[in-house]
Amino acid sequence: MKSQEMIQGVYVHTPFCLQKCLYCDFPSYAGCSADVRERYVRALCREIRQGRADGWYGALPVAPDATIYFGGGTPTVLTTDQLGRVVAALREAGWWNRPAEATVEANPGTVDASSLRALRELGFTRVSLGVQSLQDRELRAIGRIHTAAEAKEAVALAKAAGFERVSIDLMYGLPGQTLDSYGKTLEEAAALGLRHVSAYSLILEEGTPLERLVASGRVTLPDEDTVYAMYEATDRFWTARGLRRYEISNYAAPGQESRHNQVYWRYEPYAAFGAAACGFDGRRRRTNPAGVADYLAAVEAGLPAGAGPRTPGTPAVGAGNIPAGGAAAAAQGSPWWDEEDLDVATRLEEALFMGLRMVQGVSLEELGTRFGVDIRSLYKEEMANLIHRGMLYLDGDRMALTPYGMRYGNEAFEAFIRLWD
Amino acid sequence: MQQDHIRNFSIIAHIDHGKSTLADRLIEKTGTLQKREMAEQILDSMDLERERGITIKDQAVRAFYQASDGQQYMLNFIDTPGHVDFNYEVSRALAACEGALLVIDASQGIEAQTLANTYLALDNDLEIIPVINKIDLPSADPDKVKKEIEDVLGIDASEAVLCSAKTGEGVGDILEAIVQRVPAPQGDAAKPLKALVFDSKFDSYKGVLLYLRLYDGSVKKGMKIRMVSTGTEYEVTEVGIFKPNPENVEVLTAGEVGFLAASIKTVGEARVGDTVTDANRPCDEALPGYRKATPMVFCGLYPVENTDYDNLRDALEKLQLNDAALLFEPETSTALGFGFRCGFLGLLHMDVIKERLEREFKLDLITTAPNVVYQLHKTNGDIALVDNPSAFPDQTTIASVDEPFVRATIIVPKEYVGSVMELSQEKRGEYENMTYLDEDRVMIHYALPLSEIIFDYFDRLKSCSRGYASLDYELAGYRESDLVKVDILLNGDPVDALSAIVHRSNAQVQGRKLVERLRSLIPRQQFQIPVQAAIGNKVIAREDVAALRKDVLAKCYGGDISRKRKLLEKQKAGKKRMKQVGTVELPQEAFMAILSMDKK
Repeated sequence: MKSQEMIQGVYVHTPFCLQKCLYCDFPSYAGCSADVRERYVRALCREIRQGRADGWYGALPVAPDATIYFGGGTPTVLTTDQLGRVVAALREAGWWNRPAEATVEANPGTVDASSLRALRELGFTRVSLGVQSLQDRELRAIGRIHTAAEAKEAVALAKAAGFERVSIDLMYGLPGQTLDSYGKTLEEAAALGLRHVSAYSLILEEGTPLERLVASGRVTLPDEDTVYAMYEATDRFWTARGLRRYEISNYAAPGQESRHNQVYWRYEPYAAFGAAACGFDGRRRRTNPAGVADYLAAVEAGLPAGAGPRTPGTPAVGAGNIPAGGAAAAAQGSPWWDEEDLDVATRLEEALFMGLRMVQGVSLEELGTRFGVDIRSLYKEEMANLIHRGMLYLDGDRMALTPYGMRYGNEAFEAFIRLWD
Repeated sequence: MQQDHIRNFSIIAHIDHGKSTLADRLIEKTGTLQKREMAEQILDSMDLERERGITIKDQAVRAFYQASDGQQYMLNFIDTPGHVDFNYEVSRALAACEGALLVIDASQGIEAQTLANTYLALDNDLEIIPVINKIDLPSADPDKVKKEIEDVLGIDASEAVLCSAKTGEGVGDILEAIVQRVPAPQGDAAKPLKALVFDSKFDSYKGVLLYLRLYDGSVKKGMKIRMVSTGTEYEVTEVGIFKPNPENVEVLTAGEVGFLAASIKTVGEARVGDTVTDANRPCDEALPGYRKATPMVFCGLYPVENTDYDNLRDALEKLQLNDAALLFEPETSTALGFGFRCGFLGLLHMDVIKERLEREFKLDLITTAPNVVYQLHKTNGDIALVDNPSAFPDQTTIASVDEPFVRATIIVPKEYVGSVMELSQEKRGEYENMTYLDEDRVMIHYALPLSEIIFDYFDRLKSCSRGYASLDYELAGYRESDLVKVDILLNGDPVDALSAIVHRSNAQVQGRKLVERLRSLIPRQQFQIPVQAAIGNKVIAREDVAALRKDVLAKCYGGDISRKRKLLEKQKAGKKRMKQVGTVELPQEAFMAILSMDKK
């Protein structure tokens, strides 16, 4: 059976954080009570159990080695017991078999030796730590709850707990960050002996507190030349230390690449559970309600989450301090609740712009067969133009961005998107 | 109806003095439309007219009015545009009337176009009834306005009618004044048909509708008519009147206003100003007609998508059916491809046409900066008219250049006289004279280059007078000026559509401002782009658009695909609206950059 005819990954979302970071526009909420978190876990388990039966992913078998990814928010805001119940539900319902990789995201400020050991015992094989920077001043400037020392300690504790695969996230272009301070962060990160690092350029997202701070002039970001120097430095630094770039913002020692994230970039089917979670069956994509209250209401009403649109503005169940993200999400233009039936052209375009994020690019043969088109002739002009400009190259069956092409990746991605008006 | 019970009149006014609102009240008061049928400014039928609050086309309406003498009168009235660009529409309308309501805002008093329109009405020997409007406003000062009417216009103001078109107060007095003071038409229904075409409109079912004022004779369906100037003949398929919606009637007779349809295919066949007569019994002489409206402002119109070229031509042809003043001919630009050089009466006319092309024909257009027509005296003795800066020949072949001047009338409160004069001097104006309208307001005359008027004179006049100044102008011939062509080079390549003709003394400053403006408009691309201004081979200004260092979405995982896709689509759509010139992508605004140099 072809890889795109099976669920290759399972994502579970935890929309809670102890504190919201200033740059974050993800569906995650700070300040929820223990009671809400418990209700959320119950709803999540229920959605997971119904998930195999509700028919949405029904036709697709779960690959035996389908990856698991617990993301957020901060999954480790949940107790070990709660996480254990979610894992148990996944196992019972057949989502979690012999995963090639089971990752849990963690905030260095929310883990200790025993919680990490417990996660390992639950079956997680990989930890992804949101470190962002190893300079305390920079961490404070973006509203992180942990210090650089705690971050380093978390890496050590994760290793000690038996995690062979520990990854950290880093960010560059942060308020107050300089090329020097970023260089220090890289050096100190390298000293942790990591074999996987994600390094993201800070994106000033609309509606975030950081955006307002920058707009009002109270916070200054490094200039574009500096950010570009950091982008270059990242690549040089990790390459020199044996971590190869395998995606625009991801570096890994050979064999240490994130299996789960490659499911996305290869445009393979994945299941997703929890508020705001977004699943893909290879043809359709559906997104759960982003607000905790809306999500709870949907699941507690016995509906399989994602079973159908709710009217925006429907009173949230059990008001209290449960965030109803729906209205806010709708106001931001993100879907309140969405199911997209993707036509072939759209899927092909998405498969291309996701696939070209990877250094190895895409297989023209494989994508061509999958979507029943001849990519070389369909995109003849676009490909010739990008190749001529040194942004794209063909290597036998593979089409990939050059390092220069990655730098201006959006231009290349856009070339493969057709505008229909 | 007997001719002595017919009254034909126009409404003329400065813009915003309440002309169209008064027309609404007259329609309402005479019961021509029921109140529930009324939309505001009913005669402004184009969406654009309602939105902008301006009248662009003439509109004709027939109404019946029971006067206080117990008799019923037929009133034909024509609403006219107030903007200087459309003066020719006003003059056409006036030629079809015996009287005019001169509407003046009771708090603002006489403005520049009040004056211009009054002169037009006097030229046509019309009975002028001054109407002082908006008397409901707290700032209304009818006595002062009356004094202005006498002192400035030289019209007896003792019989001026006071009204508020908004509340309806005084509207009855206006109707009575029309009946009593506007002379009845003096035609002879028994004579051969003699009618003036004062406007025309293309209707896709009926062909061209001719708006007529009948002087002698009558016209009805089935009759064979002849256009006097061209000799072409048609059979009348319909005659009718506007109430204000078209309504067929049996016959139109001497003195009346209405329309006819005769399967006329293009407006060109039946020119406005022509005389219509009976083909079997022609009248002995034509009516005086009108001078042709001459376009004074030119610009290039190019489709963003080259494939839209044919659609653009079709659309321009359709608009021209209703707008004889619109000129266009094909032109080619190395930067923009195939497009049209279009001639307009003025900037508002240009804006209106552009907006209609985009709105009614769904065209995506690039407009180049507007310019006037220059008269070149070449060293070999030839004289050439140039309506496109890029067609300006090599400076060495030019002996001298003449440019059109206008005589501008500016009315302004006296405290702004200083700044108006300063501005006019800066714009190469030549002061002519100044008169006090009353103790507060002043009328100033300047000779100004038309190119400065279409550049930013009006905007700056408004801002230096806090909006109080009003402006009117008329063409006043050509004068020699020391003009040079400034070219713009992007990445070393000249962009023909960005060339501008400027006065030599301003070339340096303008060139610098233009490249600065372009730098701020051109999005950064993967390489550095030098933007240069040059006269001939001499570079007079340079700015660089810095290269974009990187442009790539930092992350995209499973939950992000839709959102990131939309982001890419939006970016791509934005780029699609840009024009690839050589290796550089130019946004559409760049081609109008010269008009927006002081805006940051």
